[in-house]
Amino acid sequence: MRSTFLRIVRHRFVAVPLLIVVAVLGWNAYVVTHGDGIVRGVVLGPDGRPLAGATVTMMEQNFTTNSDRGKTMTREDGAFEFTDNRSHNIQLRAEKPGVGRSDVVVVRLYFRAQDVTLREPLRVTKPAG
Amino acid sequence: MTRARTWRAWKHASLHLAMLAVSFCMLLPFYWVLKTSLTGENIFVYPPGIVPVHPHLFYYIDVWYYIPFPRYLLNSVVVSVLSIAANVVFNALAAYALTRHFRGRGAVITILLSCMMIPFQTTIVPAYLITAKLGLLDSYLGLALPTFSTIICIFVYKASFEAVPRSLIDAARIDGLSELQIIRRIMLPLSTSAVATNVVLSFIWSWNNFLWPLIVVRDPLMQTLPLGLSRFLSYHENTTGALYAFCIMVLAPGILLFLMAQKEFIRGLTSGATKG
Repeated sequence: MRSTFLRIVRHRFVAVPLLIVVAVLGWNAYVVTHGDGIVRGVVLGPDGRPLAGATVTMMEQNFTTNSDRGKTMTREDGAFEFTDNRSHNIQLRAEKPGVGRSDVVVVRLYFRAQDVTLREPLRVTKPAG
Repeated sequence: MTRARTWRAWKHASLHLAMLAVSFCMLLPFYWVLKTSLTGENIFVYPPGIVPVHPHLFYYIDVWYYIPFPRYLLNSVVVSVLSIAANVVFNALAAYALTRHFRGRGAVITILLSCMMIPFQTTIVPAYLITAKLGLLDSYLGLALPTFSTIICIFVYKASFEAVPRSLIDAARIDGLSELQIIRRIMLPLSTSAVATNVVLSFIWSWNNFLWPLIVVRDPLMQTLPLGLSRFLSYHENTTGALYAFCIMVLAPGILLFLMAQKEFIRGLTSGATKG
């Protein structure tokens, strides 16, 4: 009885779909537990130190358009956090009047609302000229 | 003796070299599609890069989210499963009938063979009208209906059924099995290669079917993957990477199914080929 069951399970027409189902379930479990839409990062000023009070703008990127999805301010330690990202393809930009602005940083995620902490800080630089 | 062995080794090596060259030519386009889907680089760039530079999976994720890909996938899977189930059952019934002797059997085979010469495009208007009369437009059943039975697959079954010893069927009949039971309990278990061939062919044909879904589907949410690909092309012309990722996502299930069933598939196609 057991050997028959094992023989059926090991058959490639059963084993391959089973593996796919397990992989899909595993992936979905990971998505559910890591999909709160949190985006964290740090903004550095022109002197390389954390920049407080900078405005960080999050934009949602589509094939052809970019649209603003929210703004937040950096804390004393230059850190910022968005908690309502619903996209898998966002852009971030930091700016502070009188100090300058950063380049736009594209953040690609593996699924919508994936929690992410930026590895590289947003670097605000003085405008040229 | 040694000379003969050396000659055989050379022959063997040159044969494998030739097969490698042919395989390379066959697989190169697939590799190119896969590479472009991972890098999104311009396919017309010169000199062409063989090794992918900074590959990533984000084009696949774009395809998944920017268009209703899961819905298209579901539609294609449902239509293909319906088509496979119908082909495996109906073709077996038809093939078993053709292995029996009855008046007009030759005429039926001739008609079936000649029907193979008629392209589907010529019958598409009556097929559409019948589907509409049945109220099956914009439905899974309507999408799968024309692929419910294919003549080639009937003949694949027929060749396999004819290889089953006549005495076995007679013994089953003496034991009290009905014709349907003979098909289910004797013919199909002894014709796994033909079943696999039917599964693979019906899956590939229904999976890649473009013209029929284009005609019977009006609701965008009932579109299948080939229609989705054409819609994707018309929406987003400059997204090379995402487009190729879409192609890979459409191709992958068919390739996977073929790789799983290739042994039975080839055996099914060649069974009966050497029959006297």
